[in-house]
Amino acid sequence: MTAETAALVAPREGARRIPFGWLWSAALLLILTFLVIYPVSMLVLGALTNTNPVVDGLSVYDLSLKNFITVLGNPNVHYALANSLIACGGGTALAVIIGLTFSWVVVRTNTPCKRFIAAVSMIPLFVPPLVAAVAWSILASPKTGLLNMIIKWAGIDFRFDVYTMGGLIAIFGIYYAPYVYMFTASALRNMDPALEEAAEVSGASAVRILFTITFPLIAPAILSGMLLSFIVMLGIYGIPAVLGAPADIPVLTTYIFKLTNWSPPLYSTAASVAIILMIVTGFLVFLQQKVVSGRSYITVAGKAFRPGVMKLGPSRYFTLGLAVVYLLVVVVLPTLALIVAAFRKFLFIRDVNSLFDMKAYSLIHFERLFDNPLAMRSIWNTMEVGLITAIFGGILAFAIGYTVHRTRATGRRSIDVISTLPVAIPGLVVGVAYLWAWIGLPGGLYGTIWILALAFIARFMPDTIKALSTSLLQIHRELEEASWICGKGLLGTIRTIVLPLARPGVIAAMTLLFILAIRELGSSLFLYTSNTMVMAVLLLDYYEGGNVGITSAFSLVQTLLLAVLIGIAHFLSRGGTDTSVGRAG
Amino acid sequence: MKKLTRREFGAAAASGLAAAAIGTKRADAQAYGSQALIEAAKKEGRMVYYTADFTEPEQEVIKAFNKRFPFVKVELVRAPGGQLITRIKTEAAAGKLTADAVNHSDRGLMLGIADLFQEYKPPNAADYRDDVLVAPQLWPKSTLGWSIAYNTELEKNPPKSWMDLCKPEYGPRKIGQVIAPSGGTTWTRIMFERQVLGEDYWAKQAKTQPVLYPSGAPTADAMVRGEISVAVVLYNIAYIKKRDGAPVEINFPTDGVPLNYYAAGVTKTAANPNAAKLFLNWCMSEEGQEFQIKELGYLTALKNPPFNPPGYDPKVIKPWAPNFEQYVKLRDQWVEEWNKTYGYRQ
Repeated sequence: MTAETAALVAPREGARRIPFGWLWSAALLLILTFLVIYPVSMLVLGALTNTNPVVDGLSVYDLSLKNFITVLGNPNVHYALANSLIACGGGTALAVIIGLTFSWVVVRTNTPCKRFIAAVSMIPLFVPPLVAAVAWSILASPKTGLLNMIIKWAGIDFRFDVYTMGGLIAIFGIYYAPYVYMFTASALRNMDPALEEAAEVSGASAVRILFTITFPLIAPAILSGMLLSFIVMLGIYGIPAVLGAPADIPVLTTYIFKLTNWSPPLYSTAASVAIILMIVTGFLVFLQQKVVSGRSYITVAGKAFRPGVMKLGPSRYFTLGLAVVYLLVVVVLPTLALIVAAFRKFLFIRDVNSLFDMKAYSLIHFERLFDNPLAMRSIWNTMEVGLITAIFGGILAFAIGYTVHRTRATGRRSIDVISTLPVAIPGLVVGVAYLWAWIGLPGGLYGTIWILALAFIARFMPDTIKALSTSLLQIHRELEEASWICGKGLLGTIRTIVLPLARPGVIAAMTLLFILAIRELGSSLFLYTSNTMVMAVLLLDYYEGGNVGITSAFSLVQTLLLAVLIGIAHFLSRGGTDTSVGRAG
Repeated sequence: MKKLTRREFGAAAASGLAAAAIGTKRADAQAYGSQALIEAAKKEGRMVYYTADFTEPEQEVIKAFNKRFPFVKVELVRAPGGQLITRIKTEAAAGKLTADAVNHSDRGLMLGIADLFQEYKPPNAADYRDDVLVAPQLWPKSTLGWSIAYNTELEKNPPKSWMDLCKPEYGPRKIGQVIAPSGGTTWTRIMFERQVLGEDYWAKQAKTQPVLYPSGAPTADAMVRGEISVAVVLYNIAYIKKRDGAPVEINFPTDGVPLNYYAAGVTKTAANPNAAKLFLNWCMSEEGQEFQIKELGYLTALKNPPFNPPGYDPKVIKPWAPNFEQYVKLRDQWVEEWNKTYGYRQ
């Protein structure tokens, strides 16, 4: 281990004690209690008491495990849980294959257009699940899917059917591969190539090296990516709602949604199911943390090395082809499907010829969309709430990330654990928990954009901190130490050394937060009011209203806006050190 | 789109001018409320409207209302039934109910929170059927009826009655059904099926292996796209598709049409009570009801409907409304039995 590595492996040794550390930690813990502990307590209370804590008061004397017992004894819950595990397990396996393949192609081969492939590998992260599912139902529904229509026309006797467990797994896998890619690409980039070189000298084939040396060496990163993608899939509603419903394949999230829609709504039961989901997720998060904390520094330790690039010969065009096919599957085909649906007056397409019948196309869905004053207001509100979330969430995440990773402040372990907790809470139920928790607060928080922003900051804190920590950990401590020696204080060092160096990482984290906030549906459902309608809620309204045309038109508008915003963020983050989630992507 | 509407409702279009004239006359006669109410509403200038109905038709209602009263801005909050009730209850308990008016599809749930609503009666209250009112302050702003819709490109011999839906020729997976636990409207339908069509109706119908959908909107959408050829849906959902030119036709079943009445009211805590009353008054007025029937495919609880959709003759098609006591009492057990019969896992 080099001296440089040693400094990073043991970050606490050189970590700075901050003045009034306990006061700082107490302030952070207070914020986290308000954002995380308090709403989660409301959720647990709801599950234990069969009441709405706001309506019925905190009748703690009626605590009972009845809801949990009922839920655990219900065979339909078992069935939904089994489906969730199969769909997410299968999806994760596929995500690993895709994510790992592309991270290897981008980092360790001489495939042409690697920047393009790196960008393509991250695109699915920006597609809202509901939009992806609607687009794929238009493409690959068994009877009327556009793909099926085209292959029927071509005389091929095969049909896609996305309304199956296989379909769910495929869509989960292709859209959640970026999580595996993010982890494995940075691990591959930073790993020590010595063992690979030794194997190569000993005459091992490239494939053998890959499977016996390279992948085992980055196993912790693969496992981390796997667990994270599995956890994220467990909490997704849009994909199983659209693709699972016609085939009656309930999963836990769709089951929870049904309970909240039942007349009368069964929130306490939903909260119990959500807490079971949280326990499963919490266990997986714990596993992931174990994996990361055990070996993650090894990837950073390899920073001094430059892993070799494999010369693929003509097959480098095959690897490029894989990326093109992936782009086709996750972006081009779904976007085309949305375009067809958005511009066609209605979506009955008799045959391939009628697909090209221009008389069937019009701007009617866009006209109706923008005729609705809520559409423009929701776009404006979404941008506003996204910006507030990104700025304040970014600052909070930086404060937490810096405290946890770069200081010896009291209680930093608790801060770390509490700030990770929201990963485990399904969005659909956390919305009602925020409502219960925050509506009674004095002041005019409820009914403003700020309550939505607070919910998003809380919900996506783990993602933001993770994105920021990557870049914080890659800045060598010597630079901060030099600043201290030169007499700069803590804030001065952060301002002149850490922030400028971590700028791309900070912007990437804020961009991620902005995008996640724009996409977020679950926690918005109960917090929006007539003045604070956001795009995700309006999109669900249109989808539930059964108008695929207007839903697709709005999805296209949302996709276009996201593309523009990502372009701006990319432009802003140019010119800094090449260390960030952006780089990982 | 408009051409088809006119063709569809030629008679209505022909009497357009007359209707406008009548409308003006009614307005003069304070059909929508006193001059004082209108002035007060004008002063408030806005209102917040919570609804469990879909966004698109509600936006059209608001637009039509604004043609007559452009000075009231109606701000819409739409949520599915269960979620809407939770929001209302929680907001009210915290003293932060922002709704001025509420329109909900489940009269049973609305009855449970009736004390949140103030005394309210539309000017034409006497024109409404008494048997559909659940509380004096709640009114049937919207009335929806079940129908059998089909894709004309795929179904050349469409079913005309509920009993036809049990015929093997409409299976397997040709018919789309909405699941019983989806809400009050579907509960009304399955109650009708069992009480009117026979105890064994569900079992006979389930044999055709229908495709089950979580709500009416995706069912109608699947029918338009050709995923299924027949959809058992609320008339208004299929009607909008037909109005927009989709290959859809709709039959009111000859053996009965289950109806679902919404409940709408003005909240006690309304910040804009006059604007809310004016809006509901217009919706409940003959003009408002006529607009909802003609343009959106709703029905009405008015004793003398100003207009009936094509094929809907109340004397022939036997409209059916549930006994409200049974509607509340039988629900859980019957829905569970329906789930078992149709193999639906709730």
